[in-house]
Amino acid sequence: MTDTVVAPAPRVVPAVEPLLRVVNVVKHFGAGVGSSVKAVDGVSFDILPGETVGLVGESGCGKSTLGRLITQLIPVTSGEVVLDGVDITRLRGEKLRQQRKQLQMIFQDPYASLDPRMTVGDIIAEPLVNFKMISGRAKDARVQELLRTVGLNPYFNNRYPHEFSGGQRQRIGIARALALNPRLIICDEPVSALDVSIQAQIINLLEDLQREFTLTYLFIAHDLSVVRHISNRVMVMYLGKIVEVAPSEDLYTSQEHPYTRALLSSIPVPDPRIESKRRLVELSGEIPSPLNPPSGCRFHTRCPIAQVPGVCADVEPPLELKGDGHLAACHFSEQVRTKIAITV
Amino acid sequence: MTDPILEVRGLSTHFFTDDGEVKAVRGVSFGVEPGETLGIVGESGCGKSVTAMSILGLVQRPGKVVAGEIMFKGSDLLKLTKEELRNIRGRDIAMIFQDPLSSLNPVLRVGYQIDEAMYAHDKIPRDQVERRGIDLLKQVRVSDAERRINDFPHQFSGGMRQRAMIAMGLSNKPDLLIADEPTTALDVTVQAQILELLRDLNEQTGAAIILITHNLGVVAGLCKRVLVMYAGEIVEEGTAEQIFERPQHPYTWSLLRSVPRIDANRGHRLLSIEGLPPDLIDLPQGCKFNPRCPFRVERCFKESPPIEQVAPAQHAACWVTMERAYAEMGAGTITDTSPGAASGVHPDGRRALPAAEVPAAVAEAGQ
Repeated sequence: MTDTVVAPAPRVVPAVEPLLRVVNVVKHFGAGVGSSVKAVDGVSFDILPGETVGLVGESGCGKSTLGRLITQLIPVTSGEVVLDGVDITRLRGEKLRQQRKQLQMIFQDPYASLDPRMTVGDIIAEPLVNFKMISGRAKDARVQELLRTVGLNPYFNNRYPHEFSGGQRQRIGIARALALNPRLIICDEPVSALDVSIQAQIINLLEDLQREFTLTYLFIAHDLSVVRHISNRVMVMYLGKIVEVAPSEDLYTSQEHPYTRALLSSIPVPDPRIESKRRLVELSGEIPSPLNPPSGCRFHTRCPIAQVPGVCADVEPPLELKGDGHLAACHFSEQVRTKIAITV
Repeated sequence: MTDPILEVRGLSTHFFTDDGEVKAVRGVSFGVEPGETLGIVGESGCGKSVTAMSILGLVQRPGKVVAGEIMFKGSDLLKLTKEELRNIRGRDIAMIFQDPLSSLNPVLRVGYQIDEAMYAHDKIPRDQVERRGIDLLKQVRVSDAERRINDFPHQFSGGMRQRAMIAMGLSNKPDLLIADEPTTALDVTVQAQILELLRDLNEQTGAAIILITHNLGVVAGLCKRVLVMYAGEIVEEGTAEQIFERPQHPYTWSLLRSVPRIDANRGHRLLSIEGLPPDLIDLPQGCKFNPRCPFRVERCFKESPPIEQVAPAQHAACWVTMERAYAEMGAGTITDTSPGAASGVHPDGRRALPAAEVPAAVAEAGQ
């Protein structure tokens, strides 16, 4: 850990007022009488203005649901989503709509997230029209400006989405998200449907836009390499809970949760020499069902260092500070690096 | 050097669509030695999967192999009858695909489907088939194999389904296993397990593996030799060390620098490859990478570079090669990756604006 980098948001003494504060958010989806899928089960975190926070985890961990809860695309079961000082879970109707202007979303599938029957210009202008911000010539000028901002030809506003490649469509989605000058953008797997060479274009664009417009990102993805590259801090999610939050610099060198360590050991590196030394931490079994998550620590059924029977099966570990800006939910975090080898 | 078990020579596969002739694979040649692990990497549409489909005779209308030879154990697979090819497919050459769920029949038990492959080819004595089915499932590390063999595919997780597919592929002791994006649909922890399994099986059974993927890391972990494809052609070939440490083709070089690495120091900017791959119906003249290449020279616009030896066991199709790009064009310190940026060659008369004034993809959008 070097202390020259962007300050991680410490939960203890926030230097700046967070732009987003998520407090104990829970989402249970009903699944028949008396049972429910605990998709997000008590998640709390802050995002500071101008920060990029990554959210990583495997399929079904709840990361996309969490993104949708923050944007209020689906209602929370309980908990608070405080955006710029206002708990938006308590707002309804026009008040919610107005507050939500500050919050936009970029989606994974650039093919499904644009209406094929609307022109690109109309797609990008829709938020402006929706909020009656601007019309006529000024609207057209704004659309062209936005197209230019995301690196597209400003005179393509009359074309339809099918005339564009995947990478270009993702740029259109980004232009739409920028239209209302939002402060926070939730990026849900924005590059995972794109080819490798196009991914870099979009990642670089997101970085440039952040600098230009002082944007704040919540970057949700399954690819830890991409998430770590773009984020100041990374949150790791497992089975509806955040198990570790670490400054990106720390994540590769020091992990405080066994799941993060296992995840890291699974990521292939385009370097045969490193690959030949990488040792995979094999997790036993499959991810348990979120219908009936394990007792105590949810990871104990697959954890290589769990004490079972014992504290890991009985007591749920709280997400607590383990180092500078580094949080983890593990009873034995001090053993993670000594007991779980990831190189041979 | 042993004789290759598979040798592809001058393979071209085109698709005759309403919009025109899509030249998906053009003049592809390579060999696979017994027990070798060969990676074919490239992005969507580069022809890597079509190459595999061509080997197995699975190219369907409007696609057609228009030229080439595919020599396997002394015979040209392209000249065999459907019947003869069926005897090789699944027996001597097996294949696993990206999506294990759609490759399995949902109404038949997993064990039945594994056994079916063995009965079909009569290579394994019939009285040993059931026993071998369970052993295979154990070999691919499905726990409680005796019981799970009677499950239906929907009772298996994604990773287990891919294990079952691998078991099926290995059931007739093939000489060659072609794996097309076998881990792309899987979570990263499961991906790592499947790759480790393939690595072990390659060592234990001696079956050669062709791994087709867009993921450079996956190739680095499994393959000893790598082919890089771009726009339907092989642009570079070499050992994994050569391709990852001393790539000579600007496309390979750029691709490696465009992916974020988990072990990299943060704060650096990714080198992006500007623009898009070419339209396979209307290909550019000369080198197919020239519209995106920072190191292009005048010749790249006129003549298509042949694939030539650049080091022992390494070949690249480039008039410039990275050795020259480092020596003469400052490739080591490049920050602007727009086409022609490093070489200064813009033969259409357009002078490139400084990167700051041109948003990343104006060039892309202009196409």
